[in-house]
Amino acid sequence: MAFEKHVAEHERRKAHALAMGGAERLAKQKAQGRLNARERIERLFDAGTFLEIGMFARSDRREEWDRTPADGKVCGYGRIAGREAAVVSHDITVKSASSSPINVRKMGHMRRTALANGMPLVLLNESSGARIPDTMGAIGTGTLGQDPTQFVRMREIPYVSAVLGPAFGTACWFTQLSDFVAMRKDAQLAISSPRVTEIAIRQKIDPQELAGWRMQAEVVGKVDYGVDTDEEAIDLLKKFLSYLPSHHNEMPPRAAVPAGADEGSRGLLELVPEDRAKVYDMRKVAAAICDPGSVFPLKDRFARTAFTALGRIDGQVVGILASNPMFKAGAMDPDSCDKATAFLVLCDSFNIPIVILVDTPGFLIGVEGERRKAPGKVINMMSALQMCSVPKFSIVMRKSYGQAYLNMGGTRNTDEMLAWYSADVGFMDPNVGVNVVYGVKREDDPKRFEELKQEIQRDSSAYDLAGIFSAVAVIDPRESRQWLSRLLEVHQKRPTKGVGRHLMGGWPTTF
Amino acid sequence: MATEKVRAEITGTVWKIVSQPGQQLAEEDTILIMESMKMEIPVIAPVKGTLASLLVKEGQEVSEGQDVAVIET
Repeated sequence: MAFEKHVAEHERRKAHALAMGGAERLAKQKAQGRLNARERIERLFDAGTFLEIGMFARSDRREEWDRTPADGKVCGYGRIAGREAAVVSHDITVKSASSSPINVRKMGHMRRTALANGMPLVLLNESSGARIPDTMGAIGTGTLGQDPTQFVRMREIPYVSAVLGPAFGTACWFTQLSDFVAMRKDAQLAISSPRVTEIAIRQKIDPQELAGWRMQAEVVGKVDYGVDTDEEAIDLLKKFLSYLPSHHNEMPPRAAVPAGADEGSRGLLELVPEDRAKVYDMRKVAAAICDPGSVFPLKDRFARTAFTALGRIDGQVVGILASNPMFKAGAMDPDSCDKATAFLVLCDSFNIPIVILVDTPGFLIGVEGERRKAPGKVINMMSALQMCSVPKFSIVMRKSYGQAYLNMGGTRNTDEMLAWYSADVGFMDPNVGVNVVYGVKREDDPKRFEELKQEIQRDSSAYDLAGIFSAVAVIDPRESRQWLSRLLEVHQKRPTKGVGRHLMGGWPTTF
Repeated sequence: MATEKVRAEITGTVWKIVSQPGQQLAEEDTILIMESMKMEIPVIAPVKGTLASLLVKEGQEVSEGQDVAVIET
């Protein structure tokens, strides 16, 4: 056979790369209930579509050549539901998938190619951080930083991350840059490992408190979902991407409309209590308005007074931003503002029309809020909303008071503001307003308090809002879905075909 | 067995106890309902488990961040 020696050598080298860190390490990985780097790619991509890039890359240290197949990061292109994407899958069995000059070069190539060709970048993260001894000393550390755009994020393409084991250093940094993160409940995400951190600060560290999924999902708000398995994490990345365009100059893909899609909306009168003292779960309202099964919450365990989700109405992707009365009565706090801002930036960057559902008594005010920069966060959210150039619609369902009325799309801060006939709009909650304006407390003079409350509540109805043409329509709650569906059709007629101006593409990825 | 403390997210008064110690709770089941800002606001289970103890009584005033119940997970 011609090229016989070449063929044999080529096959030997391929087998060496595909064997990753060796049978023993792979078996250990499997015994822990984890997929290996290549199995994760199989789970991610449509069967037979993976094209590996950099299979023969290896450490630049001669003595490590044989021990660093693919240099610990398996990269390439493949299709997810028929659409191209790029992947970096960290191989923990090779030098703990630590970052080296060669594999960082591979990552840079994937990022640049994904950007140039308008396709999502998928990061399957599991890495101990920078490789030792490669990065030791001035020569080691000074070799880093070869790519001056490595951490620039203009949101031209989606970045998604799964955190599937220890994720420190570069794996942590790219998770921070991502639009969506799913994390295994036994994984760790932090600047450095608990061990390194303990040594550095000479304190005993609880690994879960430092780097656990609940810290990330509930306190920090970077992780969208905590999951038990690699498969669940990877499937969530695919689900998130199913709502997004491949890049910022195209529209999100449309889906088929499920049968009976209009039925949920008809039950809205039963979901939302007429009694203002009663709360309800706004997530159920979003589910009733959107196509059945289409609501996909983001950051659902973080800052729960704000609810953010992707969903579909008549098959078209929308971003739902809502206050949720079930938590703190729907009063917005600094974390809710951060969550809302991040969501508005995501939707605007990827041409996703925004639907705002409003039932909020306002912003939570107090010393703690000021300490946590509440004013700046309120205005970040307001700026983001005003800079959004995708279609924006809001529905005032019950309460909407003060500045929160504006932050939630009041008057011209959305393209079309609708009001349910139950809407109640004013400068602040009337129960507080009586004391503020007239200095009368309910416990001191209940009769006078009620009279003044009636005075404050005068002219605060949905019809008053429509009477000055701030609300474009007063609607029956059961008509919400049909109204939004028609408004989406109207507002897709704009000459840009729905592609926004992306004024916030370069905003930070963490607020 | 690990325990999880449940905190009040808002300052107010305990209006109604809904779940009793020993009861199995799914994540987001209501433990008690507080009255705050003239509204009835539920305190829900952050994780699934058994309600080990209630740390407050009906009518009691509660501050934001105060522990109100313990769940064994």
